[in-house]
Amino acid sequence: MATASRSQAMHFHARAGEKLRNAGLQRALQKAKPLFVGKRAKGIAALAEDGLDFEMLRSTGKNIRNRTLADLDVWLDLFEERATAAGADVLWARDGAEVSRLVVDIARRHGVSKVAKSKSMLSEEAQLNEALADADIRPVETDLGEYIVQLAGEAPSHIIAPAVHKTISEVEALFAKEHGRPLETRTSADIPAMAQEARAVLREHFLSAGMGISGANFLIAETGSAALVTNEGNGRMVTTLPKIHVVITGIEKIVPTLEDFATLMRLLPRSATGQSISNYVSLLTGTKREGDHDGPEKTVFILVDNGRADLLGSDYQDMLRCIRCGACMNHCPVYFSLGGHAYGWVYPGPMGSVLTPLLTGIENALDLPHASTGCNQCGAVCPVDIPLPTLMHRLREEQNERRLRPWSERLALKIWAWLAGKPALYRWFARRAVRYLNWLADGSGRIRIFGLAPEWTAGRDLPVSSGRTFHELYSARKKT
Amino acid sequence: MRLALYVTCLVDLMRPSVGFAALRLLEATGAEVVVPEGQTCCGQPAWNAGNRPLAVDLAKKAMGELEGYDYVVIPSGSCTDQIRNVYPRLLADYPDWGSRAQALAGRVYELTSFLADVAKVDFDSPEFAGSVSYHDSCKGLRGLGIKRQPRELLLKVRGLSLKEMPDCEECCGFGGAFSVTFGEVSTQIVDRKCDSIAAAGADVVVGGDLGCLINIEGRLRRRGDETTRVLHIAEVLGGEGC
Repeated sequence: MATASRSQAMHFHARAGEKLRNAGLQRALQKAKPLFVGKRAKGIAALAEDGLDFEMLRSTGKNIRNRTLADLDVWLDLFEERATAAGADVLWARDGAEVSRLVVDIARRHGVSKVAKSKSMLSEEAQLNEALADADIRPVETDLGEYIVQLAGEAPSHIIAPAVHKTISEVEALFAKEHGRPLETRTSADIPAMAQEARAVLREHFLSAGMGISGANFLIAETGSAALVTNEGNGRMVTTLPKIHVVITGIEKIVPTLEDFATLMRLLPRSATGQSISNYVSLLTGTKREGDHDGPEKTVFILVDNGRADLLGSDYQDMLRCIRCGACMNHCPVYFSLGGHAYGWVYPGPMGSVLTPLLTGIENALDLPHASTGCNQCGAVCPVDIPLPTLMHRLREEQNERRLRPWSERLALKIWAWLAGKPALYRWFARRAVRYLNWLADGSGRIRIFGLAPEWTAGRDLPVSSGRTFHELYSARKKT
Repeated sequence: MRLALYVTCLVDLMRPSVGFAALRLLEATGAEVVVPEGQTCCGQPAWNAGNRPLAVDLAKKAMGELEGYDYVVIPSGSCTDQIRNVYPRLLADYPDWGSRAQALAGRVYELTSFLADVAKVDFDSPEFAGSVSYHDSCKGLRGLGIKRQPRELLLKVRGLSLKEMPDCEECCGFGGAFSVTFGEVSTQIVDRKCDSIAAAGADVVVGGDLGCLINIEGRLRRRGDETTRVLHIAEVLGGEGC
């Protein structure tokens, strides 16, 4: 749990208010949500054209992931054997610090001073960019969204759309400043031009970087390959132009066969962006061979645990099925009220509310499992059927078991439950309570300021009844 | 047929008319309807807070009151979900209780699904002049698969027209304790729901869960909407809200 110190997840509640009042963020989120939801809905509906059914496909995907996790060690061993045979090196990292150490070490041994990176959330877990910078190695993010957040000195706020929290004018201001040019007025029609501008800058980096670092959407055991699913093409540049390619990914990303990969590929892009397939799908195996036009001379896989192995066989194993599509956050009312930064660590939204406490310590992310209305819009869209609300609920239980809930909450629940167990007394209190509420409403039928639930009445009235409980009225009716 | 009506703690405290409307609707099916004495709360607040021991105590208490009827009917998706889907899991490890919870689960119905799927009664619904928009509550929709039933019943009401709101399946932001502990976030979510309601332009918002309805009504009024009425579906079908 070396990463726990960097997590800001304990400040979720405090940050929530700040994010709600950030007008730019709110505009950006409001614009993005219908796009994400609409595109996925179309993508899933289009499955029918191929004679496929989402529920059937997702149960197949779930089985593939479960089967893999059941024998994870076997598939990892096979992967190591096949990848090594294909000419790659396979290294293992227990935690983020070890990832950074390994990468810096490889870079130093090969005299690398600049690294071009394709998107890798695991490198965020490892705080790799900071470690590289500390070692005087310049990391350059080349995914457009990652490039934007890196320029802004921020962290990604979404696992597939890192800069979704920024408006076009914010990005324009950033580009003008960082690229040293005058500010222009931009609309969404100018996005291609802005992408072109970033592309020109990034091209130089691709050609001059001594090392490329990417993640992997999947590792395929039978071929020892990494599968990379991207839309911008930067992944191809990063993995083929520099002499060294380092793949950093979690041990749970493995699937046994190419066929399994093909099945999951029917689910991943559709769930993420609604595409039947992403613009680029790369299968990277070994190093550059004789006669190849491009490819790295050295390929290193760093397979990372960072808390994942502990989840095997636990109540939370289902979480390891996750294929990082982002559909859960794209359909989460809480995520789209706050954006990803409120969650305080690498992974936001429902999957983050489960993963952050599990990977950084339950005691370090107390709010996150409660940051949900329990609506299950996330569980309903998850392409591998992870019961996210159930896992959040299990975390809530564990907080109780480990006495991590505030004493006031425990006491209030205890008193209430005791009362609810004594119907006669409960009725007496209920009658007093509704009279009190009615008195507060002062004949208006609603309470505008309620000291017992100030967060409710800060934004809403509390409609109340006429001052009689159902059971009171019902017994009176029965008597007549 | 002998039915138990579980009115829920929220209806008891916040809107008794929902309980009486449900009672009238159930009696109209010709069944004998009992309101079991001693009923308080199904224990959902404890369960949602992650407090298993308290949730178990209240589950056992509620089961004692609700066993022995042909059906138990509840004017709430979330309380029905609790008894139907959570109790069997919650009590699985307690000898005898697990199987009893399973048996009860099969007899517990949310009001609209009971009326539409079990009783299948063409009840004599009152007139209701106006347009309504139905909000699908999360536990009813995603926990119990209730979607068609309330609409089917609403369309039987003379004079009523249905105007669907955009994103009717989207959460209203209530979430029980969430609405109080994360009140600001909850307000933001219900604000979007109010936008959807405004877009539908119906006279009345109708739902099957009082928690959602109090949340929605509270936000509509705070936003200055004094005209859009917010009613439980039992009130519309039972003529209580006219």
